[in-house]
Amino acid sequence: MATQRTPLPNLQPILLGIGFALLVGISVATVYLVDRAATDTRRLTQTLSVEDKLSNVLLSVRRAESSQRGYLFTDDPKYLAEFYEAEPEARQLVEELRTLTRDNPARQATLDEITRHLEAKFKEMGETVNLNQRGDSIGARRLVLSDQGRAITESLRKVIDTAIIDEARLAADRTAQSQQTNRLLLYVTLFGAALIVLIGAASVMLVQRTARQREAARAELESTNANLERIVEFRTADLTEANEEIQRFAYIVSHDLRSPLVNIMGFTSELEALRTDIFDQVARLSAELAALDAQASEAANTGEIERLGADFDEAIRFIKTSIGNMDRLINAVLRLSREGRREFRPERVDMDELLSSITATVTHRAVELGARIEVGALPSIETDRLAVEQIFANLVDNALKYGREGEPLHIEIMGRTSGTHAIYDVRANGRGIDPADHARVFELFRRSGPQDRPGEGIGLAHVRALVRRLGGTMGLSSTLGQGSTFTVTLPRRWTPGNRSKA
Amino acid sequence: MNSRTVEQPVQIVMIEDDEGHARLIEKNIRRAGVNNPVAPFNNGTDALRYLFGPDGSGLVNKGKPLLILLDLNLPDMTGVDILKKVKTNEHLKRVPVVVLTTTDDAVEIQRCYDLGCNVYITKPVNYENFANAIRQLGLFFSVIQVPSPD
Repeated sequence: MATQRTPLPNLQPILLGIGFALLVGISVATVYLVDRAATDTRRLTQTLSVEDKLSNVLLSVRRAESSQRGYLFTDDPKYLAEFYEAEPEARQLVEELRTLTRDNPARQATLDEITRHLEAKFKEMGETVNLNQRGDSIGARRLVLSDQGRAITESLRKVIDTAIIDEARLAADRTAQSQQTNRLLLYVTLFGAALIVLIGAASVMLVQRTARQREAARAELESTNANLERIVEFRTADLTEANEEIQRFAYIVSHDLRSPLVNIMGFTSELEALRTDIFDQVARLSAELAALDAQASEAANTGEIERLGADFDEAIRFIKTSIGNMDRLINAVLRLSREGRREFRPERVDMDELLSSITATVTHRAVELGARIEVGALPSIETDRLAVEQIFANLVDNALKYGREGEPLHIEIMGRTSGTHAIYDVRANGRGIDPADHARVFELFRRSGPQDRPGEGIGLAHVRALVRRLGGTMGLSSTLGQGSTFTVTLPRRWTPGNRSKA
Repeated sequence: MNSRTVEQPVQIVMIEDDEGHARLIEKNIRRAGVNNPVAPFNNGTDALRYLFGPDGSGLVNKGKPLLILLDLNLPDMTGVDILKKVKTNEHLKRVPVVVLTTTDDAVEIQRCYDLGCNVYITKPVNYENFANAIRQLGLFFSVIQVPSPD
């Protein structure tokens, strides 16, 4: 799956855009074509209507003619009713035709001709009716027989027929055009539908491909995560092992260093014991020598021997002091490594009680120093009591140890909780720590400021190691000459797993 | 030592790899007035050969009044191995063993007593304490009763 991850751009928006544009185009075309089809239909209807009306004009003339003939033949005026109706009817029709064919100048000309013929025809028929009404039926009949009226009708019929044929041709044209428009509309619609289906299919394919890619990516991520967890496990195991190794190393080294120290110390003491014997011997020998050689000054010799003895004592003292220091350092390392290997036993620790017992043990010193110790309300935690006791005893001891000249010492211990952790501040207005030494004070055998107080530089290293083992963190904020605040953050519930990996 | 062992004085077998320590121990034992013979060994192999004899059965020392002073940190083996061998040997198991070492690990001390060690002493670095401890051990030697030969 991973190999299929080609750097193709995401086609989906492009495809969607194209589809949308096509849809708009098709819609516009359809609207246009539908409009055109409507126009075509209207014009076709118009043409058919023109055809119809033209026929009706001829029909009106025929009706007027037959009515005129009926009257002339029967001399009965009731036949005339239809004759009088026919003329306005015909004129009305012609007017209507004029409106309908306004856009066709040829047809207007035809209509002029029709009007002319109609006028002539109705004039001729009107004359025959008038003659008959005046009683001149012979004259009327003669007029009819003159065939003048029939010739006019014939011409009219010819004109109308020609126009009708013309209109029919026009109708045929328009029908063809309408059909073409409809066909075009169909094509456009079909084309649009096909395109939409195509784009839809392409979209579905793309979506599926994206989904597949996402699935593959997810699977890969999952396996990476699993790997990562394994790596973290390995690293943690490595770290734990390395830590144990260091503890073992510290123990072995410090332990093995003690052996030669026993010898150095032992033989130095032996040497010291020998000193008395040696110097007694020397004193005796020089006395004997003085007795033999009277010239030598005994007093000078005695002074010389005393000076040698003082040098000897000084050398021995330095050696012994150094051994004592080295022994203390080795013991400190030993103690640290042993502390590092001690199993923690978590229990409910009432911090108020713990801190008051710690401050109680230092009350005497505090009174001597004129120091005031204040303990606020502290949150209780579930952790190793001994470790926490050592942490705070060390911090309080440090606060008492490093006070400021001419400033009454004030030590405050405060606590609060934050989520799963409890935070404790040990604040004192002591001498403070140079910012450059903030990291250094937590290192083994490192100290800061004037070295005027006893100590090996172990306390804070020990405190930090304990805090870390308890799964917490150690913080320090301090201003030189103003005071320091040590902040201990501990989990409210210690479990063997939550040792901080820092 | 005391009157009962006049014919055959108790022999102290000192297994200590550090010559300086060995010397200091011997000096201080002597200062306590103990004059018993001391057989020093600076490695486990030689000590075992001496204790168990060439056949390794321990028969060679059967019935001899012995006292073993044992250091745990030896170059070729740990003192615990020697302790285990002595305390499981038919002929040597009643020999008093004094473990005198720099190791002050609680687990190690417990293990030694479990294996049958009779006294466990940690060597103090401070020489006064060290000398004191050895001298007191010497006094202890002078009053101790070792199993009498059959």
